[in-house]
Amino acid sequence: MSQLQKSQAELLYAAQQRKVRQFRTNVAISWIVILGLLIALFNGPIKLDSVFIRKNLFFIAGGVGQTFYISILSIGLAMCLALLAALGRLSTFPPFYALSTFYVSLIRGTPLYLQIFFFFLALPQLGIVLPGLFAGVLALGLNYGAYMSETFRAGISSVSKGQREAAIALGMTPQQTMQRIVLPQALRFAIPPMGNDFISMTKDSALVSATGFVHEIMWRATRVGRAEFHNLEALIIAAVFYWIMTLILTFFQSRIEARLARGDR
Amino acid sequence: MKKVYVIASVLAVAALALSACGAATQAPANNLLDAVKQRGYLVVSTDPNYMPQSGLDTAGKRPADTKCPSDTYTTAEMQGFDVEVAKEVGTRLGVETCFATPDWDVITAGSWGGRWDISVGSMTIKPPRPDIFYFSTPYYAPTGVIGVPADSTLSSVDDLAGKAVCVATATTYLDWVNGALDLNPSDIYAKAPTGLSIVELPTDQECPQALEAGRNDFVAYVTSKTVVDSNIAAGMAVKQLGGDLFKEKDAIAIDKASTLDPTSLVAAVDKAVKDMHGDGTLSNLSKKWFGTDLTQDLVQ
Repeated sequence: MSQLQKSQAELLYAAQQRKVRQFRTNVAISWIVILGLLIALFNGPIKLDSVFIRKNLFFIAGGVGQTFYISILSIGLAMCLALLAALGRLSTFPPFYALSTFYVSLIRGTPLYLQIFFFFLALPQLGIVLPGLFAGVLALGLNYGAYMSETFRAGISSVSKGQREAAIALGMTPQQTMQRIVLPQALRFAIPPMGNDFISMTKDSALVSATGFVHEIMWRATRVGRAEFHNLEALIIAAVFYWIMTLILTFFQSRIEARLARGDR
Repeated sequence: MKKVYVIASVLAVAALALSACGAATQAPANNLLDAVKQRGYLVVSTDPNYMPQSGLDTAGKRPADTKCPSDTYTTAEMQGFDVEVAKEVGTRLGVETCFATPDWDVITAGSWGGRWDISVGSMTIKPPRPDIFYFSTPYYAPTGVIGVPADSTLSSVDDLAGKAVCVATATTYLDWVNGALDLNPSDIYAKAPTGLSIVELPTDQECPQALEAGRNDFVAYVTSKTVVDSNIAAGMAVKQLGGDLFKEKDAIAIDKASTLDPTSLVAAVDKAVKDMHGDGTLSNLSKKWFGTDLTQDLVQ
């Protein structure tokens, strides 16, 4: 088919696609240039000690498993708490409403770093001794649960009133309505933000190294870095690990997002 | 979709609960020594950045058949004088030695909550520690000295008056700088100059490491002679200023506030230390790690 025989619409569309492709190619080239400059920087002016890197890369990498483990346990706890807090915020029962707003306000009003130390250092004075991992997961779960409760609340509220009315018309109890109609739809909207929270939690897990008992990426990097005065190499290795983890998780996150949004197109 | 989340969160909470309760499945022992022997490993607290006393051996491989909990290190993954003393004590008790890595000021505060059993961390016997800990016979007696950058123009301890010095938190060196060192007067050789301002860091090695990083918040650091000697041996641009400031007797500490009765463990550890003095083990370890024997005349 010659150019003349293509319709106006097709020509416009082809031009648009060309622009998009050009933009993407140029961005990719820019990325490659930036990475190239970084590599040149670290091979030239800034000398990184490759002996140290080779010796300790495996040791620091050993922390990746712990980071994931902490994050997965914490996100599980956070999801439970966020759901409960969201239901509390939407509740008409005053004590439940007060409890959940108190929880959200208190946790959002104090630093995560303080919360981690609180569970690890302060509770033993009350006779509750938690292992470092436990304290860290509890603090992270409580902290993220408070922030994620807003996401859940927005998700629940976004389910249209018509759905609830239809459920009542069918004779469902409020519990059944929540369980079978509202929550499944609410969760569809809440999952993408939760995915982002999980990714950000893998970075905040670095704070749990403060307890001294959780040997995740950051703890390992700071210990060997300090001991051998190669903090630059150690922290760059740690940064690269966190970055790669984030890139992989973001990739899966966008796949999940695309999948969930399929029904809307 | 909701069921998946319910199951996932229940599993998460269950995993959490199990990871904490995993150890509590045997018939409980009624004192700390029996508990240690029953579980087959002794948990020792240590600072992983305190060479030559204690440090990580990142090239070390964790043995597959180790009983050590996952948040502790095995002896293969650690190195140093304190580490080898702890390993020897564990061997003499008939158990494996595992190392936990809490912060030093958490160790010296006591009330460990059963997170670890003993501290083999060059802890000096000084008030108020005997109120908080049972101490074994001292296992070595290092001295405290001052380290300065190699190009420092200071020539004696008194030149430090009014200057900033670096010390590690909760140490005898901090007490010395504050003029509050409560040791036997015959063990104190020099008094701290007046008007010192203090830069306090979490551990001893962080002071020379800060100097190496080019920090100039302080002009000198006070720490164990073993640390300064190791800095010089490692090629850092530091030197010792003046002579020994004081001598401290370092021993193994056990928390008095332990829920399980620790007195039997204290007795067993003390016997092990005395045996190690008697058969020359401690002397040999001291010469290996410090180049000199710091273990003489400690057994009463």
